[in-house]
Amino acid sequence: MSGKGKTIKVDYLARVEGEGALFIRYDDNHVHEVQLKIFEPPRFFEAFLRGRDYTEAPDITARICGICPVAYQMSALHAMEDALHLVPTSELKALRRLLYCGEWIESHMLHVSMLHAPDFLGYPSAVAMAKDHPEVVQQALEIKKAGNALLRLLGGREVHPINVRIGGFYRTPTKEQFESLREQLSAARDLAERMCRWAASLPFPENTQKFEFVALVNPDEYPMNEGRIQSSEGLDISVKDYEKHFREVQVPHSTALHSVLIERDSYLVGPMARFNLNYPRLSTGVKRVAEELGFNPPCSNPFKSIVVRCLEVLHAFDEALRIIDNYQPPEHPYLTVEPREANGCAATEAPRGLLYHRYGINAQGKITQAKIVAPTSQNQKTIEKDLRLMLPNFMHLPESQLQGLCERAIRNYDPCISCSTHFLQLHLQHDQQGSS
Amino acid sequence: MTNKEVPKRWLLISLGNHFRSDDGVGPYLLHKLKASIGDSAEFLENGGDMVGLLGQWKGRRVCLVDAVRIEGQKPGNLIRVNGLEDSFAPSLCNTSSHGFSLAEAIGLGETLQSLPRQLVVFAICAENFTCGNRLSAEVEKAALLAEQQITALVKADNGGQQCTNNP
Repeated sequence: MSGKGKTIKVDYLARVEGEGALFIRYDDNHVHEVQLKIFEPPRFFEAFLRGRDYTEAPDITARICGICPVAYQMSALHAMEDALHLVPTSELKALRRLLYCGEWIESHMLHVSMLHAPDFLGYPSAVAMAKDHPEVVQQALEIKKAGNALLRLLGGREVHPINVRIGGFYRTPTKEQFESLREQLSAARDLAERMCRWAASLPFPENTQKFEFVALVNPDEYPMNEGRIQSSEGLDISVKDYEKHFREVQVPHSTALHSVLIERDSYLVGPMARFNLNYPRLSTGVKRVAEELGFNPPCSNPFKSIVVRCLEVLHAFDEALRIIDNYQPPEHPYLTVEPREANGCAATEAPRGLLYHRYGINAQGKITQAKIVAPTSQNQKTIEKDLRLMLPNFMHLPESQLQGLCERAIRNYDPCISCSTHFLQLHLQHDQQGSS
Repeated sequence: MTNKEVPKRWLLISLGNHFRSDDGVGPYLLHKLKASIGDSAEFLENGGDMVGLLGQWKGRRVCLVDAVRIEGQKPGNLIRVNGLEDSFAPSLCNTSSHGFSLAEAIGLGETLQSLPRQLVVFAICAENFTCGNRLSAEVEKAALLAEQQITALVKADNGGQQCTNNP
């Protein structure tokens, strides 16, 4: 690489959810500036929740994302139930976990097969990859289909489920209806195990980083809906104290707020954080596969997140089958409560990581205040930091390869820009040495 | 993977969003057809999961309705296309799975041998994609025309008019 200043621009980085851009200014020795520019217009969800009925929050916030609507529903209803001191029964909790399993399967498989896998096999798109590796895409689609089936049965439909409400579900399926899914789920579970082995065999660039991993931790289960917020650096707080430890800050280059840990700085949420902080609570079957593959925590190379997603899909199938085995229809599909003036908050584990909601409601049950912190906005600063630290190790690469590597590094995080503002143009600016 | 028998009934699929004015013409039409032809066909409202189409339409006779904006076409024009023979413009946005278009779904379906047996696409040229749940007058007229053509298509393949012994 010459010492002359130059700029590389990629107008839209492919295979991420939403639209944004990346700007990197560097010279032969240093990376001076990395900006993950999110320019999707703000979507004002928090503002237009105000004045709406508390019962509407799960369905309105579900519209933030077509990939992870269940996550928004779960965080919203747990926050409302926190405000109203409504404690769902164990049967209802199990059904919510089952719904989340469906979404993890759908969302992770979509990212693994359609967005992430082409990177490792050198294809520009999943359609191009499918010509040479049809079996990978076929398997992924079968797996995703099983997740869809779960959402259809329990959620009422596959995208933006309509069966979720504060206190439970509008209608709960019968044991026989769940039994009808067993064969499909078991077959897809076998395919998911094959996907784990395939993903672990991919060639991974070396990029081990030091992250502060943040996730829910629950002594009884791999986290989805409940737990304390813990980190790899010793943070251990109740969800109620989230805003005492995490702060959102505005940056000029992004319409999404950056979230930071007040005591330290950037942190990472998502599959790697969950895996590293909760490995013992993965199913026995998943731990057996991970051990056979030599894939043990901590995983600190974001390129390997594709393996973690596959393992989480496998776990979701084990969980789904376990829940169906033990399913007893709840006596009442939902619990009711009278609204009152109150505040409540909750965090659940969206496929992309911790999703925090806080609401205030008045005596009539109208929303007076809403705050939503999406996983991608929490990871933005970490993505920038990862690129800043990764690039010096790859400066020997031709610029076109370097640009491709930056795009891949961003896809490792499966950012959902539509959620965070809700991505991507890439601008690499190569300065003359000493010009910065 | 399971080898289920492929249903013989037509599968009617709508694309589009109820809450985006003319973009809702697909779901609107599907509701009307459900009321008029009922069990003669299967109905599927697709909220945007284009990848999911591959599993839903494989081997089926499919009729798909969507609102479109095409340069040179007036709002309310109805375009009937053979989805397996005619070509579609690629997605304008390839940055995410949100931008995975019908053209990509057909391309991937071809590669994975997951195409429908027959794919008739009714594209209704629309003008208003802003928030709202009302169709513009021209689009509503085109929906009526599409309803007649889809009904005829489904009835013809289900044996046409009922045969009777009456003279």
